[in-house]
Amino acid sequence: MSGTRPLAQAPTAPSRPAGGSTRVLPPVPGAAEDLRAHYARNGQARCRGPALIRAVREAGLTGRGGAAFPAHVKLAAVAQAGGRKVAVANGAEGEPASAKDAALLYHAPHLVLDGLQLAAEAVGAAEAYLYTDPRHAGPVERCLAERADDIPVTLVEAPPRFLSGQETALASRVSGGLGLPTFSFARVSERGVNGAPTLVQNVETLAHLALIARHGPGWFRRKGTPAEPGTTLITINADGHQIVTEAELGTPLASLITDGAAVLIGGYHGTWLPMAAALTLTLDNQALSRHHAALGAGVLAILPHHACGLIETARVVRYLAAESAGQCGPCLNGLPRIAVAMAELAGPQPRRGTVQAVERWAGLVTGRGACHHPDGTVRLVRSALRVFGAEIRRHAEGRCSATTSHPALPLPPADALPLTDEDWQ
Amino acid sequence: MTNSTAFWYASRATGVVALVLLTAVLVIGIAINRQARVPGLPRFAVTDLHRNLSLLAVAFVGVHVLTAVLDTFVSIPALAIVIPFTSGYERFWLGLGAIAFDLIVAMIATSLVRGRMNRTAWRAMHLTAYLCWPVAFLHGLYASGDLRQGVLSDVALGCALILAGAVTWRLVSVARQRPRASRVAAELAAAERQPPAAQTGPGLRSARR
Repeated sequence: MSGTRPLAQAPTAPSRPAGGSTRVLPPVPGAAEDLRAHYARNGQARCRGPALIRAVREAGLTGRGGAAFPAHVKLAAVAQAGGRKVAVANGAEGEPASAKDAALLYHAPHLVLDGLQLAAEAVGAAEAYLYTDPRHAGPVERCLAERADDIPVTLVEAPPRFLSGQETALASRVSGGLGLPTFSFARVSERGVNGAPTLVQNVETLAHLALIARHGPGWFRRKGTPAEPGTTLITINADGHQIVTEAELGTPLASLITDGAAVLIGGYHGTWLPMAAALTLTLDNQALSRHHAALGAGVLAILPHHACGLIETARVVRYLAAESAGQCGPCLNGLPRIAVAMAELAGPQPRRGTVQAVERWAGLVTGRGACHHPDGTVRLVRSALRVFGAEIRRHAEGRCSATTSHPALPLPPADALPLTDEDWQ
Repeated sequence: MTNSTAFWYASRATGVVALVLLTAVLVIGIAINRQARVPGLPRFAVTDLHRNLSLLAVAFVGVHVLTAVLDTFVSIPALAIVIPFTSGYERFWLGLGAIAFDLIVAMIATSLVRGRMNRTAWRAMHLTAYLCWPVAFLHGLYASGDLRQGVLSDVALGCALILAGAVTWRLVSVARQRPRASRVAAELAAAERQPPAAQTGPGLRSARR
């Protein structure tokens, strides 16, 4: 396998968050629980089928894969569809700065598998899949052997690519094809895996769903904000380490992160915020959206004072350009140019007009891909131009804030970038 | 010109125009498939042109077959339009015309419902264009002698040569195509060799394909 992540090879031990917000993660970090320990801690599901979809709606559970789409809408859409149906737990986690799906599959695989069974049952799916990187499949395989599930679950390897968790890429991969995004007028919930209506939910969403089936929507809403209830897993990237923790939505960011020059919120399709601004915000999309940011899959990546935001962004954008599926012209042709221009801004004395060139190309690629890869990349680039304006001027004078060449943000090694179709399998 | 000769002339004329249009549709279709630029047109307009010309070609083919049936100089049964080899007059060559007509109708119909179709099935149907054109061409060449003499023979030859060139270009282009997965790396390497900020144009048009 070509893709390894330097910073997330072993699932990160979750640190216990302030306020004891653990729900999907076990209160005491440890190895995967066996089935008996899992049921002893979490109990049995009491709410199933159509009633569970109603409970999920009342709970206000949103997708934890990044889009924060209401979970009950997808459930209801697939439940209403006819014919053979499929449910997929999405644990692809192609985002290098996120490790929460890996941590969840390591620490609480039975909760995810419970959620997958309950969701598959509620929508009437005859088959279920768990889609994840083969490095995280071990505990899940052992758990599957322990269980006597009604709906058979098949493990499908997600390619180690940034885009492999995208819904159409997932549907293509689970159908036996390459894990590439496809362009389709139909939603995956109408026509997904092998053309069947397909429910795709992030593994964390399914874990929350399994808990709602046990404790009900009222319990779920006891944490979080009224608009965005519940807890969420977040991955904090700081000092070359990744820490996965569970926090209530609405938690002050200042209780999660402290020091640094800036913070990247939402992952590599996310938004840079100056640390001073971030520390006044709370961990929910309502607050973050006022600063053009979104929680995404719960990534917080801290830019230390001794690093340069332009250098870090240029490295990430080059990675994102190389991870393009190469299918849509604006992405294939536009992202490499944006990446090279960002590298120029990150270097000594960039030519005049480079910022304007980046802005022009950013406008040309937005909204023009089959998936949101160009849009997400441009969101990151634009936020970097906004937040690191002073750094751009510093570079124009031939100076830079970085005092070390050690990279701050996690990325796979350069030789793990895709070169052949096998890299998307 | 009697009523009967009007139909006869109309049938021959629309047949020739249909051949030119079908050639153009096929050539533009090849350009779309290879993502080539047509000078002076943005890509979406090329797709629209392909669609509109094909619908126009269908209109001409429609008039072509209707007038051929209505023409009383030779007797062609209406069913011979769609069922091959059922015409008493020029049984084989009109049969080819019916085959081409059926294929055109099938291609248009599948393209109109493309959004609701399996892509592979649609593509398989669309690829019959490469069968349809030669069949229609032979029909045009031998169902009457018109295309074998004078200016019209030049038109027919021109259509055949242009199409042969386009098909050859398509095959060469496919053979030279870079595997999809390595395109991104190649674009990135090219951009890094020549930093694009120096360009003055819109800069998104790739010179390397």
